[in-house]
Amino acid sequence: MGRNRWDLPDLGFGIGLRTVHYSYILANHPPIDWFEILSENYMDTGGRPLYVLDQVAERYPVVLHGVSMSVGSTDPLNLGYLKKLKALADRTRAHWVSDHLCWTGVSGINVHDLLPMPYTDESLRYTIERVKAVSEILERPLVLENPSTYLEFGTSTWSEVEFLSTLAQEADCGILLDVNNVYVSCFNHGLDPEAFIDRVPADRVVQYHLAGHTHKGTHILDTHSDHVIDEVWSLYRRSCQRTGGVATLLEWDENIPSFEVVHAEALKARRHRGLPEPDHQRAYGT
Amino acid sequence: MAPDLGNTQKWMQAVILHPGSDRQAVASAEARKIVPPSRFPGLIRPSRTLDSFDRIGIYRGMYLARLQEALEADFPGLAHFLGPKRFSDLVRGYVDRYPSGSYTLNRLGDRLPEFIRSSPGMVRKDFLYELARFELLMSRLFDAEESPVLTPEAIAEVPPECWETARLKPVAALSVQELRYPVGAYLEAVRQGKPRPATRRKNHWAVVYRSQYALRWLDLSRPAYRLLKALVNGVPLGEALSGVLRRGGQPVGEVQLFSWFRGWVTEGLFQAVELEDTA
Repeated sequence: MGRNRWDLPDLGFGIGLRTVHYSYILANHPPIDWFEILSENYMDTGGRPLYVLDQVAERYPVVLHGVSMSVGSTDPLNLGYLKKLKALADRTRAHWVSDHLCWTGVSGINVHDLLPMPYTDESLRYTIERVKAVSEILERPLVLENPSTYLEFGTSTWSEVEFLSTLAQEADCGILLDVNNVYVSCFNHGLDPEAFIDRVPADRVVQYHLAGHTHKGTHILDTHSDHVIDEVWSLYRRSCQRTGGVATLLEWDENIPSFEVVHAEALKARRHRGLPEPDHQRAYGT
Repeated sequence: MAPDLGNTQKWMQAVILHPGSDRQAVASAEARKIVPPSRFPGLIRPSRTLDSFDRIGIYRGMYLARLQEALEADFPGLAHFLGPKRFSDLVRGYVDRYPSGSYTLNRLGDRLPEFIRSSPGMVRKDFLYELARFELLMSRLFDAEESPVLTPEAIAEVPPECWETARLKPVAALSVQELRYPVGAYLEAVRQGKPRPATRRKNHWAVVYRSQYALRWLDLSRPAYRLLKALVNGVPLGEALSGVLRRGGQPVGEVQLFSWFRGWVTEGLFQAVELEDTA
């Protein structure tokens, strides 16, 4: 049983559902705990993606994860988008729906990026109301992820973690704690990632994200293109000591290796949580 | 005075979308009316390793790269024909004119064929327009609703006297096309890594469709195109056949007609036979 505010379950150790793995998953039904679905990839299609999603949702627990809610944008909420999102959540019996603490565009334009918020009182008040409105439309609590950021606004009067924590409390939303993003943003802004982790309200964390990144020397890009580094595993262990068992998801979006490799990376999280490692060879017959 | 949330977002978006350099973007008319360039370093804090321009530049670079990647995925033939430099230039011009207004990148290329057609001075414009239109069609059919497929059992249930006025309902993921260039062959060569085929003008006809969740196309003769087009448009079978038989050119025999129908039904192009009283 989960220890978060809503008793949302610890789904175990999952990976993101990606097109390159469709055939493998349908043919082999691999022994994975759960899948995270990129919402926008399935909202407007009646083709193979939806067919695969239905097959996956029939067999595995799923969670929806979006990139276009733009909850921090000063544009009006896209009600058509939210209606489709709710329908998809209902169709897949998703355990929860998540997106990012960010904005993706204004004036009717979508930049298709997770753009950073200025952490001000005005932003906080505004975002609290938006999150409440979205939760009401979706008829379930919204879960928000801390994005990787590459700049800081001089107008910010809150730290990111304080802003996120207060938002979660005031708007009654969950937190998808992306441990890699904590590492990336703290490196880019010269902050202490352990202090960030220690200040996240543990009872709000309903999911973890783990991923690899690309170190450019002067900054780090959140590319989801590699194995998780030791420093991120260390932060994950530190956070798990505070939150207990929380659903954990491994993201891999560039140079995606085979399903077995991605799943094996996700299963490393078991060891870092102090759980016995599964018999991977037996699971995959290798 | 510091910009509020709305103006901060308008400013940042204006800077990200500007096609010039980072400095030109910050100094652009749209950006400077919200944040004067002199106040830019105060709005975007420098880090230990990057100045304010570098930091906003990360978002600017990722914007174009992300949109280009999305369009390349939807228009692989176009990207192949143009090569990296010309394709990148095309994307830059296109997203400057038509920035994304959708929550999904799947709709980003909706106006790309029209953009190509209206671009002055583009070499091989007619071919590129048709290639882009064909690739956009493929994307739409990929996402179209799944339909049931007409079965031999359903065909057998149709009383013989009803065929004359029956209508054949096509599956949703289907389009009958009259083409001026061999864009299908070009796309197939790109997919299979084969040498680039000739792209000279050559009128031909095809049906593009999705079967068992895979996109396919069949080349059609001109009479077959006319017949299939009429059926897809809801013309009753008898009338559609008469239309083909009335036309000039090579006569179409009964054997040929049966062969077409058998092929089309086998390929799953139709979902139902609608009889006159139920249509």
